[in-house]
Amino acid sequence: SGEVPGLLSILRRLKQAPEQEVRLLLLGLDNAGKTTVLKQLAAEDISHITPTQGFNIKSVQSAGFKLNVWDIGGQRKIRPYWRNYFENTDVLIYVIDSSDRKRFEETSLELAELLEEETLATVPLLIFANKQDLMTAAPASELAESLRLHTIRDRMWQVQACSALTAEGIQDGMTWVCRNIKFRKKP
Amino acid sequence: MGCFFSKKSKRKSPEKEERAPTTTSAETASTGNAVPLGNNSEEAPKQYSWDKREKVDPKDYMLTGLKDVTVGRLPGKLNGQQFVIQECENCNIYVFDHSATITIDDCVNCRIVLGPVKGSVFFRDCKDIKCVVACQQFRTRDCKKMEVFLCCATQPIIESSTGMKFGCFQYYYPELAFHFKDAGLSIFNNNWSNIHDFTPVSGETNWSLMPEDSPVLDFVPAPDPESDFKSVRVSADPARSIVPLTKGGRYKDSEESCLFVFFAGEYTTANARKLIDEATAKGFVLIQTKEVSMRPEDVKRVFQRDADDLTEWITKGPVIALEMNGDGVVEACKNIASEVFSGTKVSAARSRPDPYGFTLRFRRCHIY
Repeated sequence: SGEVPGLLSILRRLKQAPEQEVRLLLLGLDNAGKTTVLKQLAAEDISHITPTQGFNIKSVQSAGFKLNVWDIGGQRKIRPYWRNYFENTDVLIYVIDSSDRKRFEETSLELAELLEEETLATVPLLIFANKQDLMTAAPASELAESLRLHTIRDRMWQVQACSALTAEGIQDGMTWVCRNIKFRKKP
Repeated sequence: MGCFFSKKSKRKSPEKEERAPTTTSAETASTGNAVPLGNNSEEAPKQYSWDKREKVDPKDYMLTGLKDVTVGRLPGKLNGQQFVIQECENCNIYVFDHSATITIDDCVNCRIVLGPVKGSVFFRDCKDIKCVVACQQFRTRDCKKMEVFLCCATQPIIESSTGMKFGCFQYYYPELAFHFKDAGLSIFNNNWSNIHDFTPVSGETNWSLMPEDSPVLDFVPAPDPESDFKSVRVSADPARSIVPLTKGGRYKDSEESCLFVFFAGEYTTANARKLIDEATAKGFVLIQTKEVSMRPEDVKRVFQRDADDLTEWITKGPVIALEMNGDGVVEACKNIASEVFSGTKVSAARSRPDPYGFTLRFRRCHIY
């Protein structure tokens, strides 16, 4: 039947939304776990995931409402293309490999640049502090502190610890997303 | 859950009211300060499995700043955990166990063996590395001069890297087959030869394939008999390799290829290996292998017939498919099949395969 339970349950919660199309954007460095998050939302197999070369998208539709989740490749070379996907984003989901301490500064810089983008102004931000299943993973509080998230003033934000591999924490993050979707008026 | 929209309208817009007090925060281990985890949360932070587990010292899972030594992990000592290797020079590094994921940073002139990795292997800022690696994802960035004997379940990728050379994984130690299983990796899913380069340079190639029959132990020597790893009986004999040697993207010798599909059963892996051994002993070449679940529409496309009598077989589990190449390979494989596999469910057909996978056009189809 092709049902995607996780995404449909989100869509059902949005039934009363004034807009008929909700757009979630998954960004983050390469190897953060973005595609694994997407696959978990779609209740698909996660044991055979290829590094994303372009983007992946999952769409679900229910009673006239549509939810699109975009997962964009995060290699350094293709980050300039992220801006092609900013328009009409309702929630930005930024995924961080909490166990890759060597790249905390790099991911911090990329996130800071995103928060300066005009096209993403005031868009609510969910940060998945991913890979918590790994031994060297920094806890969500440590990430929140080193990313200086408390200085964010212009939008709603939340750090959610998770393991996309086991799906623990994913649904909690999506609950926050549903509660904080900023509906954009179509022209 | 109630009506989402009416819930939203009860909340004043953020610009109009003063920011609601932060309702979730957590203490950091380092400073003990309460750190906000959000500015619009409605629940107290939950406890997850990682909050409840025993705290470990991350250093037990890292090799940092070593020089001129032989180091690593013996079988059973890592047991599926993460591993981190950084700033090592002129080291022989042996990870003889399965792991969750491995990152290798700022290493120079090292020889490395990485046992099966469930997730990704990621080399960054490394130079002059010779390695044997088995993983689900293989990634590099800012690397120079690497020779990699690889078993990778998905397409390997490189970025801003030059002088990268790849060959087929060729290795054995007694526990290796179990480690593949523990890591959830199939020895028949190996995309070692088709690399995606995120930063191609026109007029140059950042990667190439190593010559066939490159002797692995000349690149990555067996552990020193005086070292902690002397107990691990390593072999790089092609006949003993846990991962079957495939020709991959290299030029094919013959126009004639044969697709063999083994349906799931108790001895499927052993049977597939037997066919490979028998066929390669006769001089035929194994191009590629795949372990994949077939659906009824795949059966129709591959075997050009209805799936009906095969449905039961494809639902038992994934099939193992082999592409053998060489003049006369179809006839030879038919003979091997009838001699060796009488009573086993096997299918063979003549084909002209395309190079991109098992999209094969068949003229005849035999089921044994």
